[in-house]
Amino acid sequence: MMAKQKNPLASALADFFSSDRAQNIVVNHGQVSMDVSAEHWQDVARELRDEDRFSFEQMIDLCGMDYLSWGEAEWDTNSVSHSGFSRGVAGQGPGRFDWSKRPQEVFARKSHPARFAVVVQLLSVKHNFRLRIRCFAEDDQLPILPSLVEVWSSANWYEREVFDLFGVAFEGHPDLRRLLTDYGFVGHPFRKDFPLIGNVALSYDEDLQRVVYKPVEIEPRVLVPRVIRADARTQADFSANSGEGKK
Amino acid sequence: MGVGELNLMDDILRPNADTNPLAKRGVVVANVDSLINWARTGSLWPMTFGLACCAVEMMQASASRYDIDRFGWGVFRASPRQSDLLIVAGTLTNKMGPAFRKVYDQMADPKWVISMGSCANGGGYYHYSYAVTRGCDRVLPVDVYVPGCPPTAEALLYGILQLQKKIKRTNTIARA
Repeated sequence: MMAKQKNPLASALADFFSSDRAQNIVVNHGQVSMDVSAEHWQDVARELRDEDRFSFEQMIDLCGMDYLSWGEAEWDTNSVSHSGFSRGVAGQGPGRFDWSKRPQEVFARKSHPARFAVVVQLLSVKHNFRLRIRCFAEDDQLPILPSLVEVWSSANWYEREVFDLFGVAFEGHPDLRRLLTDYGFVGHPFRKDFPLIGNVALSYDEDLQRVVYKPVEIEPRVLVPRVIRADARTQADFSANSGEGKK
Repeated sequence: MGVGELNLMDDILRPNADTNPLAKRGVVVANVDSLINWARTGSLWPMTFGLACCAVEMMQASASRYDIDRFGWGVFRASPRQSDLLIVAGTLTNKMGPAFRKVYDQMADPKWVISMGSCANGGGYYHYSYAVTRGCDRVLPVDVYVPGCPPTAEALLYGILQLQKKIKRTNTIARA
């Protein structure tokens, strides 16, 4: 279970939490991260805050994750044809499809136990610890997770943001409204199957004398810059000094 | 007396001052439209409507180096009721759209709009975004577009000078 036992926080976490509550305690680049099961999300959080050996008084950040199409690149730059590298627009992939043609499970590699997750960054001022915890929402269609507002009040707007952008509902949140998008916005724009150009566009209607939404009229396209990784100039052998730190 | 060639106040208020016997006797003769346009172009009060980084260049234009107050344009008003000019300085998001149109509607006629920067002109960097209006001309009529990302303070100054030329072409009394 443990990648490195040297990290004092990682060993303390492995000591304290049983494997049904916390899994995958990993130290990567000195950053400790841990997966927490959804049913223990709230009490693990409370213990991380209150337990003297952890004392994570501060929740730095809370964000959502959508693992649909995780690991899928916008560009395929591995093979070169007579016309050069792929142009990216030919294939299907996140950000380059119509709303009606959006991928369902096509791009899901099942590399993760569920599609949606919430990631929380914690700071213990007392011990100078930082910890990243993640919790997967079991239901991909209607992701619901317990709210952490009772534990860290700073979670309030972060959870509203995640609800707005990813559509993850938080059970027990005092005021779960959209935070950023327009009033009456339909959809959750940070989901990988949400078209980047959106579904509607704003314009002024002379007859109605007000601003209205109409269906979007532009064509989607790939906006991610193409990065050629498998190039002869980048084929140098980096294996000698790879890995995490030389300590 | 062509309206287009008028650049100096002296030309407007005292045309042909050297040869005109009326002017020699201290009588001012002017085309009323020229007088109105002179007043309008010389006191364009902009609405404070900075939306993004372009607003910083707009502030720069109003600050001491470029000082658009020299032209009488530096009186930024916090109320649309007191403004003649709406400088759309920045990214117009969809959420801002209705409020933006309301501000325009509340401005008293005559009113002019300058679209400043790529985002206001056509969405710019955010053209393919779900949250940004692809040009503020989708929401209201624009008189002058100033290109740039962001446009320099000189570019905005030039844009307002172009608008000034446009205003000088309007006839309020003598309708064509």
